[in-house]
Amino acid sequence: MDAPLYLRPRVDPPLASLLRAGTFLHSLVDALGSPLNVLLPETVAENARRFRAVYSRHRLTGRVYFAHKANRSSALVRRLAAEDVAAVGVDVASLEELRHALSCGFTGDRILATGPKDAEFLWLAARVGATVNLDSPNELEQLSALVRTHGLGRVAVLVRLSGFESADGHGGAGTRLLSRRSRFGTPLRDAEELLSALERNADAVELTGVAYHLDTTGVEEKVRALEQCVLFMDTCRARGLAPRAVDIGGGFGIGYVAEAGEWERWTTALSEAVLGSRPPLTWRGHGYGLRNEGGTVRGAVALYPGHRPTAGPGYLDELLSLPAPVLGRSSANLLLEHLHDLYIEPGRALVDQCGLTLARVLDVRLADADSGHHLVRLGMNAGDMSLEEHGVLVDPVLLPRGKPEEGEEGPVGVFLAGNLCLEADLITRRLVHLPRLPRPGDLLAFANTAGYAMDFHAHRAQRQPFARTVAVERQGDDDWRWCPDEDYWPIPSPGGTSA
Amino acid sequence: MRYDSITEAIGNTPLVRIDPAVHGLRNIDLYAKLEMLNPFGSVKDRPAWHMARPLLEGAADGDGTVVELSSGNTAKALALLAGMHGLKFKSVTNRMRVPEIKDLLLLLGAEIEELPGRSECLDPTDTDDPLTHFHQALSDPGSTYLHTDQYFNPRNVEAHAAGTGPEIVKDLDGKVPDWFIACVGTAGSSTGVARALREHDPRVRVLGLVAHKSDFIPGIRTIDEVHQVGLFDPATYDTIESVTSHEALDGMITLIRRCGLLSGPTGGAAYQGAVRHLRQADAELEDTGQRRTAVFIVCDRAESYLSYVRQRRPELLGRAGRGHSASALTDAEVRESARVIGVDEALRWTTTGEPRPLVVDLRSPHAYAALHIEGSVNIVDELFEDLLRGGLPFSKRTPVLLACPVGEKSLRYAAALTRMGHPDIRSLEGGIVGWRDAGAPLVRE
Repeated sequence: MDAPLYLRPRVDPPLASLLRAGTFLHSLVDALGSPLNVLLPETVAENARRFRAVYSRHRLTGRVYFAHKANRSSALVRRLAAEDVAAVGVDVASLEELRHALSCGFTGDRILATGPKDAEFLWLAARVGATVNLDSPNELEQLSALVRTHGLGRVAVLVRLSGFESADGHGGAGTRLLSRRSRFGTPLRDAEELLSALERNADAVELTGVAYHLDTTGVEEKVRALEQCVLFMDTCRARGLAPRAVDIGGGFGIGYVAEAGEWERWTTALSEAVLGSRPPLTWRGHGYGLRNEGGTVRGAVALYPGHRPTAGPGYLDELLSLPAPVLGRSSANLLLEHLHDLYIEPGRALVDQCGLTLARVLDVRLADADSGHHLVRLGMNAGDMSLEEHGVLVDPVLLPRGKPEEGEEGPVGVFLAGNLCLEADLITRRLVHLPRLPRPGDLLAFANTAGYAMDFHAHRAQRQPFARTVAVERQGDDDWRWCPDEDYWPIPSPGGTSA
Repeated sequence: MRYDSITEAIGNTPLVRIDPAVHGLRNIDLYAKLEMLNPFGSVKDRPAWHMARPLLEGAADGDGTVVELSSGNTAKALALLAGMHGLKFKSVTNRMRVPEIKDLLLLLGAEIEELPGRSECLDPTDTDDPLTHFHQALSDPGSTYLHTDQYFNPRNVEAHAAGTGPEIVKDLDGKVPDWFIACVGTAGSSTGVARALREHDPRVRVLGLVAHKSDFIPGIRTIDEVHQVGLFDPATYDTIESVTSHEALDGMITLIRRCGLLSGPTGGAAYQGAVRHLRQADAELEDTGQRRTAVFIVCDRAESYLSYVRQRRPELLGRAGRGHSASALTDAEVRESARVIGVDEALRWTTTGEPRPLVVDLRSPHAYAALHIEGSVNIVDELFEDLLRGGLPFSKRTPVLLACPVGEKSLRYAAALTRMGHPDIRSLEGGIVGWRDAGAPLVRE
């Protein structure tokens, strides 16, 4: 076999020490079944503090809103609700998320309602005094009508803008930064219509800020959008409106793979495998978007950038430090000097290192005799743990049931299959290298799955059990307590079970 | 030398020997092929002209636009060639990370489209690959685009097979060098020169240099990126090695400061990669009495990469400070010298003071225009720092209130001015933000 192509996960202290508590994790799965999601609520609060530290460094005020859709857990939302009310809020994208946030202790004034909204969602948001992030003039009219019909108070609104690339007004030669088209937001070129709608409905809504969310890892595009928002705020002020906040959305990212070298070796090997100059790295030669056309690699690789040198708070810091293309000052300076608050909506980045997903090994067999690769069947399916769906490639951590036997062989390449009776139900389409062959009864722990990977795609197909979710807290050095996610409250409680 | 057109000046570049005292190879003569001396400044002049010529001649009456995926030198050459023929030029790229090159292209009349960054939330149904759009636009029946297609166009290679390669052989008195070293971008120069040299003598060894994977060297592709180039064929190279931006800058500085060659980082990478590779062979030749030759390409010049250098090696462009400076003060010095004034007292001072203070707002003009303290003047902090170098910018009889967003920068300037001898400088505590939060009036004029 070639040298093993590991993609070992980045695990920071609390998660790393949880992974060392193998006996505890085995006892949890024995009691609650496989798959099992385990959350560390304390880490989400720590991450919020890291984002706040970037605010402080740039002297900025405003709030960090947790994008709830990243994880449906109660423990995480309750833990954030216990943080400083001025500093931490929650961003909800559905009626159920709004109800959940309220039930977890968030008051309406700390809630931002975003995403596609129906009338019920709009009504409840307006009723509890949440800020509504408006997607279009249409939604603005719908909300205003509800406010009038039901005699509700004036609703604080943000307007979500899009289409920043064409806003430069260059004639002829110049630079145009292209952006991916988005379904959301009102294009800047339709801003006039938006402004008159805001003025027309001033009795029902109050503009408190301007928002954007760009689906890109490119900071330049975001800096340009941020600056366009600052300029737009100025237009609003000239029209007599008084917005204060610029909401720059999320997309701060996570670095999943610990070492840059492993990520680079693997992606290079993928290109070589697509070209046929080395054996395939994937189930049936899947190319993750790359293809071989006459000896040249074409297509774009559909993978999350596994190793990111700057992600999360570091990425925010970089974004705030970059000079804006028109006004020249750094984005942070721009916000500060114009006296604007900064809102951010991290989802994935806020739940970095907050959880893992456990699956029991059910069966191990040779995939084919030629390659020597094995097929490992797990007590979970691709819906339970959708790293692959999000293009996140990272190795699971093997938690053996007992002690390894004498002379047990070294690194092996395995494919991880799920518990559905479907050819397509693979946990990874990638050949995963593990330090040794797993045995039935062992656990595989997928680290860092709290952001989107944990339960975003889970469904009841074939009546396989859903993953239960538990919250864990460290007590002393290596002693852990756990409770069901729904029973976690961020206050000292007699509940919870010791390991 | 008399020419009818600048295009006649393309090619026939000098081959210059590098002083052995610089590279330290005792048995190998190392030559630099100075492609930076082409009229538009780089090795790309040759393929640009060779690829564009038939298109330009075909569009002589034209209102077409020449397009290329280029982040630099090819775009530069094509923009000039297109301009000479009355056509426009558009560059599409996501690799244009050197601001001077972008500005230079704009000066030449080019239009630049920068491709978006990668998606943060993966959408498996995404068909919106911007490069796909680009190629669709090119093949649109009504399109007036002339695509030179440097990564796939065989005329890119031909330009070097017919020009650069034979010139090297001619200048080495009819012999091929033992090693030819080139950085791989479009693979055009390395493939074309290698072909010409091998036809002459197949014993030549070709070293291709690529950028270290996580690194960025303008004009060179990484080992993954070369696989996306249609002209790239691994069989062209006897060896492929990677170089870092650190090595590229080391090499560039050596060529500039010790050899008088005003090379850019790509030439630096080629030099440094060549010397690193040849050191072993040189040791093996010791005491055999044999001599060998090697040729590398200096692709372009240094001037366009000053901000690249500033970002990675600021000390090479360092300037000593001069005059007074607020940023040179320590925090302790600032605390000791600066006077602050709270919002309430500042309000009284600015309305009833005798004399009233001059209020200086240190924020950017755009922010000042949006909202400011009535009657204040705007001197943006960067300018203010420059003003201080020359001496006190205010009369000692004029009291001054300095304001910035949160009262941090103004505190520093207040300390500096006080130390320069001004008797009544105060910094607004909490800044404009504090002023607003206290409900004090801000105006828009």
